[in-house]
Amino acid sequence: MYRYDEFDAAFVRERTAQFSDQVNRRLTGELNEDQFRPLRLMNGLYLQLHAYMLRVAVPYGTLSGRQMRKLAHIARTYDRGYGHFTTRQNIQFNWPRLKDVPEILAELASVEMHAIQTSGNCIRNVTTDQFAGAAADEIIDPRPVAEIIRQWSSLHPEFSYLPRKFKIAITGAPADRAAIRFHDIGLQAATNAAGDVGWEVWVGGGLGRTPMIGKMINGFVPNEHLLAYLESILRVYNRYGRRDNKYKARIKILVHEEGLETIKAQVEAEFSEVRGGVLTLPQEELDRIGSYFAPPSFEDLPATPIDIARETILDPAYGRWLDNNIFSHYRPGYASVTISLKPIGGAPGDATDAQMEAVADLAERYSFDELRVSHEQNLVLPHVRVADLRAVYDGLVEAGLAEGNAGLITDMIACPGLDFCALANARSIPIAQAISHKFAAPERQAEIGDLKIKISGCINACGHHHVGHIGILGVEKKGTELYQITLGGDGTEHASVGKILGPGFVADAVPDAIERLVDVYLGRRETPDEPFIATVRRLGDAPFKEALYGTT
Amino acid sequence: MTAASKIAAAPVAQDKLRALGIMALNGMFDEMDALGVLRQAATELLAGDIAIVSSFGADSAVLLHLVAQVDPSMPVFFLETGKHFPETLAYVETLKRQLGLINVTALHPDPADLARFDPDGTLWETDPDSCCHIRKTEPLEPITEQFGGWVTGRKRFQTRERGVLPHFELTSDDRIKINPLAYFSDADVNAYKAEHGLPEHPLYAVGYKSIGCAPCTSIVAEGEDPRAGRWRGLNKKECGIHFDFNGAIAKPMAATAELKLFKDGAFTADPFRAWAEGDDPASVRYTHVPLPEFLAARDAFLANPHPLGLLVSSGDKVENVEGDLSRFASIAVRFPAFTDGRGYSTGRLLSERLGYGGELRAVGDVLQDQIPLMRRCGFNAFVVEHEPTRKALREGRLPEVSIFYQPVGTTEVPLGTRPYLRRAAPATR
Repeated sequence: MYRYDEFDAAFVRERTAQFSDQVNRRLTGELNEDQFRPLRLMNGLYLQLHAYMLRVAVPYGTLSGRQMRKLAHIARTYDRGYGHFTTRQNIQFNWPRLKDVPEILAELASVEMHAIQTSGNCIRNVTTDQFAGAAADEIIDPRPVAEIIRQWSSLHPEFSYLPRKFKIAITGAPADRAAIRFHDIGLQAATNAAGDVGWEVWVGGGLGRTPMIGKMINGFVPNEHLLAYLESILRVYNRYGRRDNKYKARIKILVHEEGLETIKAQVEAEFSEVRGGVLTLPQEELDRIGSYFAPPSFEDLPATPIDIARETILDPAYGRWLDNNIFSHYRPGYASVTISLKPIGGAPGDATDAQMEAVADLAERYSFDELRVSHEQNLVLPHVRVADLRAVYDGLVEAGLAEGNAGLITDMIACPGLDFCALANARSIPIAQAISHKFAAPERQAEIGDLKIKISGCINACGHHHVGHIGILGVEKKGTELYQITLGGDGTEHASVGKILGPGFVADAVPDAIERLVDVYLGRRETPDEPFIATVRRLGDAPFKEALYGTT
Repeated sequence: MTAASKIAAAPVAQDKLRALGIMALNGMFDEMDALGVLRQAATELLAGDIAIVSSFGADSAVLLHLVAQVDPSMPVFFLETGKHFPETLAYVETLKRQLGLINVTALHPDPADLARFDPDGTLWETDPDSCCHIRKTEPLEPITEQFGGWVTGRKRFQTRERGVLPHFELTSDDRIKINPLAYFSDADVNAYKAEHGLPEHPLYAVGYKSIGCAPCTSIVAEGEDPRAGRWRGLNKKECGIHFDFNGAIAKPMAATAELKLFKDGAFTADPFRAWAEGDDPASVRYTHVPLPEFLAARDAFLANPHPLGLLVSSGDKVENVEGDLSRFASIAVRFPAFTDGRGYSTGRLLSERLGYGGELRAVGDVLQDQIPLMRRCGFNAFVVEHEPTRKALREGRLPEVSIFYQPVGTTEVPLGTRPYLRRAAPATR
């Protein structure tokens, strides 16, 4: 993985000093909250319902054991003993004190981490496939380019006060595990006629109040011109994106209102000016950054089939874990392991300091000291020998992290909701917990198979409900929290936005409503292999609507 | 505080003043009794302790004629700024000879000041206040201290600011200013000149009504305020010598604490002003013309011979004035709120793509945390309203990250082992 050199270290050190000065000016009152807000937001510091929240960047979701230990240390020392992994592959601490923040940042800097641009109207942390560099279906490892984009976008002087936040996701595999079509810019590896690998550029996707699927603005941008192309898009957006209404300020609205062709013409005109200029990426630079992401020293192992049926008979919980939490690795004899942060009844994405340390141990022992955070709020050990899976599993059992539910109905995304968030209209975590309890039985989950439930506590959609196969949106009506249910969303390469089925439900009625939807699916699927989303697409909303609201 | 109690503290002629009171003094003379006023001052009130500074301008002859009648040996000082019309210098000699003035002294600026502040002689263009300061105020200051009273030629009618001018004024440094011509109108001056056969300043006939240094004087139109030709287009009416109505000598260079324009590492006087409704595109000068106004009267602005600036607001497209950028001595880019980042793109387009190399200033909500970013985007001047930001700039204490991850701008230099993306600020800026 990427390692800081002196330049990177000095950069983060200076940025930490700069932000510490801003914190001190706030503490002395020289800055008022209005003046401090955009500054703290440039550094991931939010003011939540109860306290400040610090969001720490995990660039493209990649961590070392040492870094994870530092996060554990911060959780223990400055917070309440846990952290929350987010849908943008970052981690949030919910209870830091403002005066401690400079110290926390210094701690982070000591392990090459920071909170730069984890919030604010700037280019946010670049996210990617959690299996990048390990997945069997990958065309190219996107992390070197993600790192280059991270560097290019860090404290970019022109793009630090954009109309609104700006999120870039990149994937090197045809199967989109990074939801690139729901980002301001999505990059998907593509190959041109000459066989060169470059990038399909998607623009104007997003969730929030106005969900939009990104549109392809360019089918192939070679590596050497990628930054020039990104700068062109950002400049068009910075100049022409709406600033009159924060809810219409994302680039998706600009693309939607102006039309893709207009925006494309503006971007291409800008690109023709900057193309071939200082932003041209030299191959040596790509190679140099790429060398940090060279494959670890894998052993030459024979392909090692995993006999899940046999293991299930011996140890059903382990069998389930193998069935759901193992992902194919491109190297024979290796696998990627998803560590579920969705225990039955838990808060999705939370991990305690002890759990973080346990995971760091496992990464160091079994995964070449590498860890990933997934956008579905789980952790990943990317490079585990198949022969070590049992040992890893046993370690996870000990840490309380061995839930074998990755991709199943209890592997939900949920935003922090009204329990923490100042924007929320409704609670999210308790809803997730109630559904989790409802479907706790492993056999039931296995029978249902792949089903993504995503829960947001308000229309800002941090819980990605629009792209949940079943989405749940908390709203507030006349002082009551109600939950609208959407159906048919999909964040992958088959992108679609879920449709609202009808009037909302009170919190207590939500698990039953979900169960009725699941029952329709189980009763109507053509074969046990037809996944939920396929059945929904085949049947349409009608039978599900009827299950919720009866015949009209 | 009453006038009488002020007088009590005056070191000069204080006894007489205490006896008379300046209010009473002002009541002693008829409005038009200029000679009586001057004689009272020169022979009674301030005998031997009075002098006059004359510009030897268009209407200086009247006052000098009065002086010659009262006392031809009264010290007359002429500020030889080095910027006078040749006609003015000739006029000095004419009046000396014709009126019989025998004690005229020319005061020159300090060569060291000129070398330091105005080496190429163009300070008048960028910072007229400071130009007046080094060429007039500074040379006069040591002389001022030597006299308890000063005769001026100021008149009520000349500008609105002088509308309440009395015959006698007590200055804030306890001196007396005598304004014998306070109640004279333009017509009175002309009548007096005609009556006494006084020579005209050679430029008066061609339209100059109030004459100062050559660069800062222009012709006054019929019916215009006679002093309208002084510092025309600039928000400036007085030269600084008698700026303070109470007599304190203004010191623009010492007043940097109030200056808003930060440029070349220091706060400096701003020669530019904002565009105002009704400004004339053909004659306006040192004004930031809003981009739409410029486009609406482009030909007139291009024919205007004076220095001009351009104001670019958020949403204005600078590409629309691409061919005219060299016309502007200064371009101001407005940040309506510091969270509105459009100006950064504008700055880069101007400085990097469109090749604009003049003053590029950020105006509006300009705060210390954004200035480093603005600099990187090509800004080299900042109009700062926010006092903590001014303080930070004065102290050279900007919260800044000095090394960069992306190539931006025209002056940053490649840094370190990866020159491709890594940059640092140039050594000096």
